[in-house]
Amino acid sequence: MKRREFLTTAAVAGAVGTVAKTASAQEVTHRIGVAIPSATHGFMGGLNFHAQDTINRVKETYPQLDFVLATAGDASKMVNDIEDMVATRDIDALVVLPFESEPLTSPVQAVAEQGIWVTVVDRGLSVPGIEDLYVAGDNPGFGRVAGEYFRENLTSGQKIVVLRGIPTTLDNERVDAFTAALDGSGVEILDMQHGNWNRDDAFNVMQDFLSKYSEIDAVWAADDDMAIGVMEAIAQAGRTEEMWIVGGAGMKEIIGRIRDGDPQLPVNVTYPPAQISSAIEMTALGLVSATPVSGRFIIGSQLVTPENAADFYFPDSPF
Amino acid sequence: MTSPVLEIQNVSRSFGPVQVLHNIDFALHAGQVHALIGENGAGKSTTMKILAGYLQPSAGQVLLDGMPVHFASSQVAEDAGVIMIHQEFNLAQQLSVAENIFLGREIKRGLLLDHTAMHDQSKALLERLNCPVDPRAKISEISVPNRQMVEIAKALGRKARVLIMDEPTAVLTSRETDILLEQIDRLREQGTAILYTSHKLDEIAHIADYVTVLRDGHQVFADIADGLSEDQMAETMVGRELSNLFPPLQTPQDETVLSVDNLSVDGWVENVSFTLKKGEVLGIAGLVGSGRTEMMEGVVGLRAATGRVAINNNPLKSNSVLAARQAGMVYLTEDRKEKGLLLQKNLRENLTLLALDKLSGVFINRLGEEQALDNAIAEFDIRAGDREMNAGNLSGGNQQKLLLAKTMLAEPDIVIIDEPTRGIDIGTKQQIYEFINQLAASGKSVIVISSEMSEVIGLSNRVIVMASGRVAGELTGKDINEGTIVRLAMGMTQNKATAA
Amino acid sequence: MTDITTSAPQAQKRKLNFHLLGPLFALIALIILGACLNSNFLSYGNVTNVLARSAFIGIIAVGMTFVITSGGIDLSVGSMAAFIAGVMILSMNSLIPIMGVGVPVIIMGMLIAAISGFAAGWLNGFLIAKVRIEAFIVTLGTMGIYRSLVTWLADGGTLSLSFDLRGIYRPVYYDGIFGISWPIIVFAAVAIIGEITMRHTRFGRHCSAIGANQQVAVYSAIKVNRVRIATYALLGVLVGLATIMYVPRLGSASGSTGVLWELEAIAAVIIGGTALKGGTGRVWGTVIGVLILSLIDNILNLASIVSPYLNGTIQGVIVILAVVLQREKKTAD
Repeated sequence: MKRREFLTTAAVAGAVGTVAKTASAQEVTHRIGVAIPSATHGFMGGLNFHAQDTINRVKETYPQLDFVLATAGDASKMVNDIEDMVATRDIDALVVLPFESEPLTSPVQAVAEQGIWVTVVDRGLSVPGIEDLYVAGDNPGFGRVAGEYFRENLTSGQKIVVLRGIPTTLDNERVDAFTAALDGSGVEILDMQHGNWNRDDAFNVMQDFLSKYSEIDAVWAADDDMAIGVMEAIAQAGRTEEMWIVGGAGMKEIIGRIRDGDPQLPVNVTYPPAQISSAIEMTALGLVSATPVSGRFIIGSQLVTPENAADFYFPDSPF
Repeated sequence: MTSPVLEIQNVSRSFGPVQVLHNIDFALHAGQVHALIGENGAGKSTTMKILAGYLQPSAGQVLLDGMPVHFASSQVAEDAGVIMIHQEFNLAQQLSVAENIFLGREIKRGLLLDHTAMHDQSKALLERLNCPVDPRAKISEISVPNRQMVEIAKALGRKARVLIMDEPTAVLTSRETDILLEQIDRLREQGTAILYTSHKLDEIAHIADYVTVLRDGHQVFADIADGLSEDQMAETMVGRELSNLFPPLQTPQDETVLSVDNLSVDGWVENVSFTLKKGEVLGIAGLVGSGRTEMMEGVVGLRAATGRVAINNNPLKSNSVLAARQAGMVYLTEDRKEKGLLLQKNLRENLTLLALDKLSGVFINRLGEEQALDNAIAEFDIRAGDREMNAGNLSGGNQQKLLLAKTMLAEPDIVIIDEPTRGIDIGTKQQIYEFINQLAASGKSVIVISSEMSEVIGLSNRVIVMASGRVAGELTGKDINEGTIVRLAMGMTQNKATAA
Repeated sequence: MTDITTSAPQAQKRKLNFHLLGPLFALIALIILGACLNSNFLSYGNVTNVLARSAFIGIIAVGMTFVITSGGIDLSVGSMAAFIAGVMILSMNSLIPIMGVGVPVIIMGMLIAAISGFAAGWLNGFLIAKVRIEAFIVTLGTMGIYRSLVTWLADGGTLSLSFDLRGIYRPVYYDGIFGISWPIIVFAAVAIIGEITMRHTRFGRHCSAIGANQQVAVYSAIKVNRVRIATYALLGVLVGLATIMYVPRLGSASGSTGVLWELEAIAAVIIGGTALKGGTGRVWGTVIGVLILSLIDNILNLASIVSPYLNGTIQGVIVILAVVLQREKKTAD
């Protein structure tokens, strides 16, 4: 697949425009607005990819549907995007992954009050009950699944270190569930520091962990970008045999290595960027058919093992 | 005689171990102009700053209306009606004239500023000074002399009882100086006590009621001005007999080193042509704003200019200061603080900046630089307390000498000096005149731009007078005199001027 | 009392040095603190880790010293590093079919990094000096441009160097000679050459003259535009060099590579005693500033004495202290 297209969003927007003109012929009946954060980080890159991919796919299936995709680098841009969609594109449904919960709550609420269908993805709004449909990954589950794996595969007295993400509620939920799962197992958490879901920061933090602790049995890197930095630091210290690493979110390179049975990376925990696909598909379904799709859908975090890794491997995704 | 308004008694002042003032003692009276004169570094500025509350005396006291006072800051002094006008103006460049005049004591109507009242009052104050500046103009947009007027208006607006003026005429033309002196006369009649410093002794003779002379921190003379000649003042200041201020003229050679044809600088200079001979001193006279400086900046490549400039018959690359320097022509700016010296850098770095390529291969030759500084200090008599001091801490005269030394380090054949002695005492002036003369004697060519008529007349073999961006006339020999120059500068034709 | 004249200037010199050496004292204090908190702090492994990870910011900060000294600023360096890393990885990957896997591809990649760095820096300088746009605005613009270009190149994800090449390139970050890794050696060399250039060459002198007063520089026959562009181009080349050392570490680049490097580099320069408004530059001070910034992170990781949420607070306090320490007291008299 040829990607790296210039002006992807603009092309879609343009296409929407031309489609709209010929709409009467083709009978475009519904238009869906999709607002997501821009691809500044591996996970969001994957999410952008899946959003675009799903839009293309859904449009083929339902020619009467039309999409407006907007990506935003910050919360206020996202608010502007949404306002523009409502004001100028006359959308019937909005799929939004809020950049931040607080600032987007009232703008999205305003959209919902105009009778537009609202699907919220991944991050909840501050006021419950605004959205018609909520699709999200399972943050506590993400931590719990990893924690349970550590509990089962380590014995009392063994030592681990943890790299946390950017200090946020989401990160706290994951880490709290992780430590709760380990409670009473006797596994000792030596240290937790923020690696900010960033390879370079994770590399530095892991280097310092390695200097500080002479014995580490396992690392919860909590994110595959961080896992990459962590592995490099461990390789540099020549301690690859000593510990294994569990990342998270299912980056394709990591999944590939799990599939191939890398002893350093025994498992992974999913937090699929593909949740946006589910959200878009369900919204589309709700518009074109009478199927009831409202409610809350939590996409559980699954443990990726060498046995099932092939199911989680998307070679086209940039993530 | 009335009782003194402001008085200092036995005031001494030291900076660290160095005593710069020794038992100074004088009084300012209402309705009198008191001139304080002395060479650069004699202690005038320190004395004024003590009077205006910027510095505290180390010993002795200041009396206001006969009562000892302690001006803890200039603010306290200003509240008591003692206001100092600095040589470097304290004006906010980006604010308007009116805003500056009322800075810190804005007129308000309710919570808001009363712009109309401030505008009208500023206009009235400026009119008292015969200054045509629009109160709405920004300081950065008005000329230097007008900024001086704004400073004075600002002081007047503060109901000054005592006005301390630090070389107010240093940047003014003679016409502007006359206006200022008139205004000082008026202030005197209104009962203001004025302390006045200037290097221009003719002004002192004209305006002062009383003269105090400082030399090396000592009070060497204090008496009423009546009957005191300029020569006497100069000699008291310098402490030696001053022979002729200007050395005898050298005779230029026939060879032409610089020729300028049809030079124009957009908005300033139109079709100017002139030549310069080897060993010649060419004076450029004209009013401030007549395009003298801009013309020379065009010649050396500091300003975009059209026309032809040739050195020794070789055309000079336009718009390149470096090309001019490499061809042996350098320009000494009139604005030594903003364009000439890096005030917060030491003497060595300033000295070698223009000629650094002569003192460096891949690396800068540090020893060579030190040597050059030694030579410059000796040759130009630069009086610096410490070799490592910053150029900004030198007195004006020494800054000018450093700038000269910097320029001469490039070993130029053609030296263009803009206002060579602005703000400089008479002793240093004489040294600089002597130096210019020596340059000519050694076969270099010099162009002197000056607002001081006597300087142009005393130094030059030939004088070009500029008016409104054009050459109004060229004078040689006996034609070089004040009357002719003034008439040409005012725009009369040369024929009429010489005939008259 | 006879020795007053001889002791006075000495005392003055000592006082001056104290202020100059402020950042150095801060660094020493940090080292002592680190050594007290964790016995591994001064171990060979930790010291090399800290020095090697300082190298990227350090190399860039040396270039930044010249830009700031001449009165400029460059906010684009972090994005520029990410962009160069992206270009470098893409071009090396695409060169494999032509040149095969081997050292020549790596050398080509390095050349491409250096050339793109030069071009990117020169462009900044050209827009600032010739087109006369504020440095802040130009580099704020290019900062956004390079950041989005690398995200576009990576399609929102991560660009990874071909695995075969990584094996060959990896030693450039991880190996060295005499137990000193290459990034440290390169950083040291850049710092020493930078210091000499700043203090002992015409270029360095001209930079500080332009920063101190551009008018004076113009009147002193200095080619101001040329020097200005040169400072940005030099910084660009050094960003390229930093990227050359960075890519072998993780073998990848993404939209999040080099985020906030520009602010770290600028902070290091200012901590080191270079004036933000220009006119005075100290390359050795910059090196100390970089080390202070990396050490703070390292010590906080090693010690776990405060909540990790407060790391930023500690950094901020130390940065401000380091600058306050070197301020010269206004003469009280």
